[in-house]
Amino acid sequence: MAKSNAKSQDFHQLSKGWNIGANLIAGIFAFLCVFPFLFVLIISFTDEKSLATNGYQIIPEKWSLEAYRYVFQTGDTLLRSYGVTIFVTVVGTIISLCVIALYAYAVSRKSFRYRNFFSFFAFFTMLFNGGLVPTYIVATQVLHLKDSIWALIWPLAVNAFYIMILRTFYSTSVPDAILESGKIDGASEFKIFYKLVLPLSLPGLATIGLFSTLGYWNDWFNALLYIDNPDLVPLQSMLMRIETSMQFILQNSQNSSLSMSALQSLPQDTSRMAMVVLATGPIVLAYPFFQRYFIQGLTIGAVKE
Amino acid sequence: MSTSKKKWLLPLTVMLSASMLLSACGGKSNTGNESAGSGENASATELIWYTIGAPQKDLEKVEAEINKYTSEKIGVTVDMKMIDFGDYTQKMQVMAASGEPMDILFTSSWAFDYVQNARKGAFMELDQLLEDHGQGIKEVLDPAFLEGSKVDGHNYGIPANKELPAQEVWRFNKSLLEKHNLSIDGLKTLEDMEPLLKTIKENDPNVVPFAIGKDYGPQNLLPYDYIIEKLPMAVSLENDELKVVNILEQPEMMDALKTMNKFYKAGYISPEAATTTSTQDLFTSGNWFMDRAATQPYADNSWSQSYGYPVVSTPANEPTVFNWSVMGSMQAISANSEHPEEAMKFLNLLNTDAALRNLVDSGIEGVHYKKLSENVAENLPESKNYDMPTFALGNVMLTYLNPQDPENKWEEFKKFNEAGTPSPLLGFNFDPSNVSSELAALNNVKEEFWSPLMTGTVNPEEFIPKANERLKAAGLDKIIAEAQKQIDEWKTSK
Amino acid sequence: MGAIGRFLKNIMTNRAMLLMVLPGAIWFLFFSYLPMFGTIIAFKEYRFSRDGFLASIFNSEWVGFDNFKFLFSTNDAYIITRNTVLYNFVFIILGLVLSVALAIILSEIVNKRLAKVYQTGMFLPYFLSWVIVGYFVFSFLSFDKGMMNQILGWFGAEPVQWYSEAKYWPVILTLVSLWKGIGYSSVVYLAAIMGIDKSLYEAAMIDGANKWQQIKAITIPMLKPLMTILTLLAIGKIFYADFGLFYQVPRDSGTLYSVTNVIDTYVYRGLKTTGEIGMTTAAGLYQSVVGFILVMTSNYIVRKYDKDNALF
Repeated sequence: MAKSNAKSQDFHQLSKGWNIGANLIAGIFAFLCVFPFLFVLIISFTDEKSLATNGYQIIPEKWSLEAYRYVFQTGDTLLRSYGVTIFVTVVGTIISLCVIALYAYAVSRKSFRYRNFFSFFAFFTMLFNGGLVPTYIVATQVLHLKDSIWALIWPLAVNAFYIMILRTFYSTSVPDAILESGKIDGASEFKIFYKLVLPLSLPGLATIGLFSTLGYWNDWFNALLYIDNPDLVPLQSMLMRIETSMQFILQNSQNSSLSMSALQSLPQDTSRMAMVVLATGPIVLAYPFFQRYFIQGLTIGAVKE
Repeated sequence: MSTSKKKWLLPLTVMLSASMLLSACGGKSNTGNESAGSGENASATELIWYTIGAPQKDLEKVEAEINKYTSEKIGVTVDMKMIDFGDYTQKMQVMAASGEPMDILFTSSWAFDYVQNARKGAFMELDQLLEDHGQGIKEVLDPAFLEGSKVDGHNYGIPANKELPAQEVWRFNKSLLEKHNLSIDGLKTLEDMEPLLKTIKENDPNVVPFAIGKDYGPQNLLPYDYIIEKLPMAVSLENDELKVVNILEQPEMMDALKTMNKFYKAGYISPEAATTTSTQDLFTSGNWFMDRAATQPYADNSWSQSYGYPVVSTPANEPTVFNWSVMGSMQAISANSEHPEEAMKFLNLLNTDAALRNLVDSGIEGVHYKKLSENVAENLPESKNYDMPTFALGNVMLTYLNPQDPENKWEEFKKFNEAGTPSPLLGFNFDPSNVSSELAALNNVKEEFWSPLMTGTVNPEEFIPKANERLKAAGLDKIIAEAQKQIDEWKTSK
Repeated sequence: MGAIGRFLKNIMTNRAMLLMVLPGAIWFLFFSYLPMFGTIIAFKEYRFSRDGFLASIFNSEWVGFDNFKFLFSTNDAYIITRNTVLYNFVFIILGLVLSVALAIILSEIVNKRLAKVYQTGMFLPYFLSWVIVGYFVFSFLSFDKGMMNQILGWFGAEPVQWYSEAKYWPVILTLVSLWKGIGYSSVVYLAAIMGIDKSLYEAAMIDGANKWQQIKAITIPMLKPLMTILTLLAIGKIFYADFGLFYQVPRDSGTLYSVTNVIDTYVYRGLKTTGEIGMTTAAGLYQSVVGFILVMTSNYIVRKYDKDNALF
């Protein structure tokens, strides 16, 4: 499996046997994780009728593009949803990374007098929340976020969980001595943070950035709550809407007028899978690039030292 | 991340904080009352109208036409907001609870529950408004609609004029009937189906003889009306005693479930029926023989059309008017509406004026549809951008027929409505607030037993006693007593 | 110089740090703390008032702890609490061990490109919604078309009605949960391993430590702060269950409730018909309070032994 570059092997590395073992474990698990994706991909290209007759098959009896035709019917709506999702993800991740990085850094510093207070201030929100209705009221009546693209960004901008993780990263990967040396040089706190701390904690920041990106990409609930304008609906939300509505209609089939009127427009199983492919495909493909920056970030971090 | 080496962090924090504060305090009102940008006349009152269904691309275009029409006629414009079926209940619950500005909203027995929310105070009481501005509605609606949708003696919503009673039919895949020379004449009860199912099972092993999923139940066929849908408290339709009983203790139920269990064991029912949410894939493939469905006039045509092969049906019970069938589709006026009178005027027009009703339903003539005759219209390709759930938008009987529809479709609907016998409980709505914690527990127990029992997956002789024991422990008797008390009070007040 | 003066002076000396927490603090204030006042409705029978939310709260009747009663009134209370806590306990322990192990394995694989491929693969389940996961699991466990029963058939075993046999589900749910979550959680640990100072390993090698000893003496101790924090945070969520996992994956099968009904599914099923937001809020409050007490206790214990790794 693994290309063994035995020649350049120094004792940093695992011995050959162990390396194969590690590859096997990781490889098998990774395969188990990828498999459902292939499954979804195959179903999305299966002919609806042959799916209904034969059930799920790795190699379907008949292939078909019908599912994608169905989804692309919506045409520019789909494109616009992509646009909304990408905008929200990019802007949201930048904002959230900035806010979280600063907050977490402050509460990681032992010299900060109020660090425990602010740690607790953040942590408390992980457990307690006001519930759906009060949150909705604050967002719409105090912050006036209804039907605004910011309703998709602000509610996810800060997350106490990420702050706690990042705080740990700072306190383990940034030695106190470095901070002290910065102080002696007379640098301001902000300069120390930017010049000394950030480069050292890039792995942590990259992780939080990744989580935040995925959080924004996968979010559908805020759009469900705050967005009425169809032009501002992100991708996941649009697909989730179709999915839940389909489930709802099927479950209420004893209602004659509902089931009658919905008969024609129900998407089929294959279309659902096509929607999954369209919703996750781009981010899955983008993920390796993200990882590259992740690794690059690491090397810069290592060099800086 | 890194852009310049200048001191950008300090300004950044300040900026982030400021923008958050600004968006909080700066009163840029994105909320609601802005006009939909369709340039209608300024003196008209704008109504915010939330209704159910998938958002449509051409909504704005059609809305402009609607507003042109309504602002002239009654000095009102509407801002329509569509929320898809699956999200409607949740979103409306949140919005109603938080006092979001709204004027007209869709409500029903199956989405954004009408009775529940009327009791909680989400809707405005309409008695006087109907008198003042809704005379047209009173004329067109079968009186049973307004009578049956009263909550504690008052109307809170305008039911759509559509099929009034509920009736169940047995549906059959016609080609299989013909193939095996089977006749459905005179079939009525579940037991009657046995020989047919047997034939299919023996001769067509690839076909699922009896296509049912977890929501199936013989309970709809038994002559009972349920206090709360799918919970075991019910009142018999066959006498006027109005006595609340546990449906699982009734001999009819035991017999029906025994039959189901027999069918299950014989392999007429899918082994996974109790967890199957949808039998749609069977309808797609055509590998089914029979099932049971709710009907309306000319339902066979619609089914056959959408499945692409002929489906026939025969009645399984008599049409009966239930509370939930009356409340199948309604429009209510929000309790916090600023313009209740205008809203009522609009609803009145929507339910009586064919031009408006069809504009809302089918879109713009010449763009979305083409008129073939006085009341028949054909969809144009553009109609895919404006495909509304007809039944959810008021008086159905004003809408144009499709070319395939029989000429007398709406007459048949009227006949169907007249044929329905009202349930003795029509007009009574249970108020669960005294027993809400018992109901929560009961619901959990019921969900545990219901589908396996109703689909015949388990032996009822063994499971019904078990289920009853658990249901009683969850407080069934207390709920029955409460329901009985409320019904008795309702009876004397009538 | 009074207390106020001292306070102002503290503010001045900490001003840089205070500025850094400011944006986040404002966010918490608006998005978390302001809505928390709504928790009052847990003690009210909430009714709408036409004058908006505050008027609604004000006009609704106080009902004391009535809204909490449904959580404790039946036998189910024991079952749902037991299920929620036990599953979470297993998920926390296994999740921790496996994701750390996986992170270490990934970091040690010689071919970095392959490691990257594996890691990308492991992340994928995170993208799938529970509905789709439920679909996929069904394709395995379906009675007549499922792969598991086909495999059993090859060995001459009887097919199993997976969706009505409660005994298999604790294992199935654990496997599915781990499968979906491990890729995600191991990323954090992998990043932490990447951040470990390489010179530590070089020093260890000079001392003649083998790989295993290095992992034990350097990697694990360096990961300990993160492990502690993540576990503490997970303990706070021990009364919460992932709704989709326990509802969609077992296809809401009634016969499995004894092992699949958890607090979140119980609340969902129970309140479906009445939709009382007072009771929903009460359930959430109950989960939060218990979680809070548990975290505070564990944090107290951690602080006694290892002050640096505690939450606060």
